[in-house]
Amino acid sequence: MPGTPYPKEQMHRIAYTKLSERQIAEKLSPVAVSGPTSASPLSGVFAGKSIRIVTDKGPALSYTFRGTNRLSLAENGGGAAEAGYGALTLGSVAFFSHVIPGTQRGYAAVIDRDTNLATVFELWFSGYKDNREVQREIYYGYVEQPGQAPPKARHVTTNRVEGKGFYWKQDNGAETLEFYPSAAYSNFVELSRLGGELGFCGPSDYIKINDDLYIYTRTECEFSGTFTAYVMDLNRIEQVGVRLGFDANDALEYYVFRGKGEWLGQHAHFEKFGDESGAPVPAAAAGQTPAKGARRVYRPFETMAKMTKAEVDAVCAKHTTAFAPRASGPGASMAGNLGPPTGWLAGKTFTLRYDHAPAMEYRFDDAETLHWRKEGSGNWTKARYQAWESMPGVILFGHLLEGEPNHDGHSIVVDFDEGLVTCFNGYLNTPYFANEAGVKIHFGVIEMEGLIPPKYRRHVLTDEIVGRAVSQNYAPGLTSMHLYTTPYSLSWIIFTGSDAGGLEWSGPARYVKIRNGLYFMYWLEEACNGTLGTILVNFHTMRDVGVGYNCGTNGLNMSAVGAHERLAGQFDVKRFYQVKASGGVA
Amino acid sequence: MTTKTDSTRRSFLKGGALLAVPLASAVPAAVMADDGLKARLARLEDGAAIRELHQAWLRQINRGTNTGAGDTAALFATLQGAAFDQGVRSIAPDHAGQPDAIEVAADGKSATGRFQCLVGIETAIAQDCTLAQMAHAQGGGFVRRTERCVLNVEYVKASGAWAIARVEFAPA
Repeated sequence: MPGTPYPKEQMHRIAYTKLSERQIAEKLSPVAVSGPTSASPLSGVFAGKSIRIVTDKGPALSYTFRGTNRLSLAENGGGAAEAGYGALTLGSVAFFSHVIPGTQRGYAAVIDRDTNLATVFELWFSGYKDNREVQREIYYGYVEQPGQAPPKARHVTTNRVEGKGFYWKQDNGAETLEFYPSAAYSNFVELSRLGGELGFCGPSDYIKINDDLYIYTRTECEFSGTFTAYVMDLNRIEQVGVRLGFDANDALEYYVFRGKGEWLGQHAHFEKFGDESGAPVPAAAAGQTPAKGARRVYRPFETMAKMTKAEVDAVCAKHTTAFAPRASGPGASMAGNLGPPTGWLAGKTFTLRYDHAPAMEYRFDDAETLHWRKEGSGNWTKARYQAWESMPGVILFGHLLEGEPNHDGHSIVVDFDEGLVTCFNGYLNTPYFANEAGVKIHFGVIEMEGLIPPKYRRHVLTDEIVGRAVSQNYAPGLTSMHLYTTPYSLSWIIFTGSDAGGLEWSGPARYVKIRNGLYFMYWLEEACNGTLGTILVNFHTMRDVGVGYNCGTNGLNMSAVGAHERLAGQFDVKRFYQVKASGGVA
Repeated sequence: MTTKTDSTRRSFLKGGALLAVPLASAVPAAVMADDGLKARLARLEDGAAIRELHQAWLRQINRGTNTGAGDTAALFATLQGAAFDQGVRSIAPDHAGQPDAIEVAADGKSATGRFQCLVGIETAIAQDCTLAQMAHAQGGGFVRRTERCVLNVEYVKASGAWAIARVEFAPA
């Protein structure tokens, strides 16, 4: 029986081995001699040549290449080391990479033969507390030409790649969707390696060679630590690059690759016109000199609270808050642009009959207090709620379910014109960390005096918004952008002070169509802060309202969310997520 | 005495010219006149010293060193006086406002300054959600705004040198 394309664990759930320096050195030793593998024939562009790369704030590298896979390197005039290498070309650009024997270091270099400008990446392991995470430092320079003055120009960091997205297929068969919604991070969907369910994010570099050619890197920080770099030709949609790191089974991946792709689209970016600067996120705090290889990396798994069920039960018993006053309550920052709540539910009674979950009976005392009970149970439970009418007849409301063993919270959209309801049922005590929210989706109907609900029709899960990019301004100074990368995940990008895309992360998500232009969606901050975010997005008014559900060391909290939105664009990606007759998505 | 000052070269020359007139006519003057001249010279020197002190403080604020009282403490008479809103990131003269005014007390031991200015203020966003935490992690997470303010500053002279005693921002 053929296997599925899906991994046993998704990347954010893999307990990657903490490799020792010795283990890494042992695994690197053979490839330092042999050089990287390649599915495509290696280029002989350097064969028989000697070059000296001079960098501005880094080493001078003297190379002598023998054939297509042997070189000797002298760093800063020191003794020469013999190593294996692999080179590939893309138009005027020659790319090569090698590891230095006896070390955990290596280089990847990009040389534009038209200009003799060079960008060099020094790569090394064991430079971070997780040894397997590849570190990089970037040096800009040129290839020395005897008798010629050094060129003044350099390759430069840029935001000119920001907003682009590509499908790539490498010569080894690896297929990915890669999005560059930030000038400091990127998002990648592993179609062939992981089945294309989720998108993941990593810190990235974007460097301009010329208007057609750019260098991109990413490091899979918080995951395997694997480093990928490539030169891409935006017109030909071709790439040459390198992948270096250890996979989930701790096998070393070190290969150069050639790839071809498809342009998926371009979304807007929000820097001032004329601002083409790259690297918008400073590598070090203000006033501090960045260490070699330094950059800002979002490390949510490292910093999140990881609680047991007993700890969750205890903290929920002590501190549970629903819709605290906006100015001071937890999560208040995300409610700065919240619209006014509605009191329409006050005095109403109805039952929400879910297809595959217990029906919920409601009595709404006023605009902020309700009583609920599961159908058939005798006791009503009082809860604080808030409600917003996003579109006439459609109300979002949320409340916690006190007394439920998993501390459930409901975020509910009720459409009184259609008699339909969708509930995102958040809960705790999930398998990985008890304070990490899980979610169940309940579809159903409203039973209410004077309202006849449909018998078969329901709200439905949709992929209509997959590929869209939508910015959210929650409050002054707090703006992000959602990129709906797959039908099952979204990523969020945080803007910098210059409105460049900065740090980015992602999580599982689903989207429900409520009406034309009105979508109810959730995302889970898995291996992050554990939050369940739910929003009702109105593409007519470009506003969202929502409910956040989070448990941490400060307790369980349900809070309001509200933002002004802007449509930033759309990628053509839905076709990549259709299940094929032969299985899988790639 | 109130000395209205601004930072233009013309006003500096004007001050110098006023000073020059009594000097030119002082040759036959009595001791009283000489004392008055000395007093006026002292006041002018005090004014200049306070302006220089004010400029030195502004330079430190605008260099982005307002990260704690210790950074500007050397300009202040006391550490308590040096402590003020750490959200202030820049102070620039408000050229649409009234001229700067420095008033030195008759005994020459204290002075006040009143400066209309544009104050750049940075307010940290509470790290109460993932987005805010990420904004801080990338070196942001602040709301910046500019406010028109009147800067009321008190100065004291101790051991022959002027120091800032207290700074107060008031709405313009």
